[in-house]
Amino acid sequence: MTVRGLLRALAFLALAVFIIGPLVQAIVLSLTVTLPHPGVSVGDWSLVNYRNIFASPALVASLGNSLTYVTANVMLTLVVALPAAYALSRYRFVGDRHVFLLLLAFRITPPVVLSLPIFLLFARLGLLNSPFGIALVHCLFNIPIAIWILESFISAVPRAFDETAFLDGHSLPRFFVGHLLPVIAPGVGVACFFCFIFSWVEVVFARILTSTGGKPITMAIDALFTFQTDIGLVMAMMVLSLVPGVALIWFVRNHIARGFQLRA
Amino acid sequence: MTQRADNRAWLLMLPAMSVLGIVGLVPLIAVFNYAFFDIFTLQSRFWVGTEWFAELVGTPDLYAALGRSVLFSALVVLVQFPLGIAIALMIPRGRLAGSLVLMLVAVPLVVPWNLIPMIWLNLLHPTYGTLAQLFDAIGFDFDYKFNAVHTYALLVTVDTWHWIGLVVILAYSGLSAIPPSYFQAARIDGASRAQVFWHIQLPKIRPVLLMALLLRVIDSLMIYVEAFGINAGGPMGATAFLSLELGEEINAFNYGPAAARSVLYFLLVLSVAWLFRVAMQRETQ
Repeated sequence: MTVRGLLRALAFLALAVFIIGPLVQAIVLSLTVTLPHPGVSVGDWSLVNYRNIFASPALVASLGNSLTYVTANVMLTLVVALPAAYALSRYRFVGDRHVFLLLLAFRITPPVVLSLPIFLLFARLGLLNSPFGIALVHCLFNIPIAIWILESFISAVPRAFDETAFLDGHSLPRFFVGHLLPVIAPGVGVACFFCFIFSWVEVVFARILTSTGGKPITMAIDALFTFQTDIGLVMAMMVLSLVPGVALIWFVRNHIARGFQLRA
Repeated sequence: MTQRADNRAWLLMLPAMSVLGIVGLVPLIAVFNYAFFDIFTLQSRFWVGTEWFAELVGTPDLYAALGRSVLFSALVVLVQFPLGIAIALMIPRGRLAGSLVLMLVAVPLVVPWNLIPMIWLNLLHPTYGTLAQLFDAIGFDFDYKFNAVHTYALLVTVDTWHWIGLVVILAYSGLSAIPPSYFQAARIDGASRAQVFWHIQLPKIRPVLLMALLLRVIDSLMIYVEAFGINAGGPMGATAFLSLELGEEINAFNYGPAAARSVLYFLLVLSVAWLFRVAMQRETQ
């Protein structure tokens, strides 16, 4: 191995320690007994924290809530973003350049800025404490992201591809589902990945919309902090909350860096 | 790619725009509206005109908070961009090894934001924190609670841990889109590694870096969840960034002033986005 290769290996090792290190302590704590529980003593290695998660209806329900709103959000985002991305990729139309700035503005508007009116609006629409309220509000930043990613994947498909399909007499919806989607499947995967994680990790809207019920996993973890916090249980919940995201990283690993080409 | 001019394309934009209208435009209009009222309850409110704005703009608090946010944002960019670009350049072209590094840096992106301070404060926990024990062992008195410099250092480290993956992924996607012929030409001309970087790679990834820059600048300028979790704006308000001050106002139920503040922040964010668009357009010309 050359000196340069060695240095590079060392640099990646340092990076791995920096990224994974903080999580290792959390994982170790999640496997340690941190408060007295029947049958185990504090300090032991045990799966008791994970057992306690599944013994608590509130924690199990929070997992369900999170999965529900994230899935609903990803589906809604994809359904509305795909035609929009297609339009931006294939056509020039009045105002198309301004759409870009508009999407950007929605993506970067801080949730704190909109949390108060969103709360009041959703209270009136009866969407408080419901996973579907969160699913809807997370579209604010996920639709721009999905359009951006899908647009660059669609632009990589030659126009002739569409025209052949239309000559064969396919309607636009049938073309989307039957022809375009299979071709840009990696792009759909990457868009799903980013929408999933940005919805999964968001807490400002999720907190304000679930003040009295329907709590997602993030808020359920916050609620575990009391005068005598079972930090092992907190860390076990945290580890569990990483599982879906890490699994998705594995699925999109070969495409994650594709599809960020820009058109201003 | 040639594009056909056809205004019917708006029909395809309609679903996305309707959803964004409900969750984006309507709340924005509402917040602009609230900013001109003194709100006791939503039923009893009084028109106060631009009083909240005059109050905000007339006191030094806003500028102090803006200064702190700009400082934090600048530190974040100065650390994350050289580091992220360096990592992206080092990623081996091989499929497996390259994927492994990208997967590694993507892991912190999937951690819910309110858990990030928990993870890091755990490392610094006086009795079982690994990092705290390490600092003890080398005799370094790290005090993120009461030493402002240490709080900033911790926040920048945490933010870098969280977001370096985004910079790496975007820089890497730009780098892998450069046609191989550029590098062949450079090799024939006998260009050095540094020359290839400054004259081929950096200019080619500038558009995608600009996008990463915009996302990082705005998100760090408006950092809330992580900063609140680490030290809640302390010590002595040294890390009370723009969003933390807004959060405080909302929690105190000062809806009018909070709305005025939201309007100002939104305009700030919008101006940065607009500057970015101008820069992008210059880039593509």
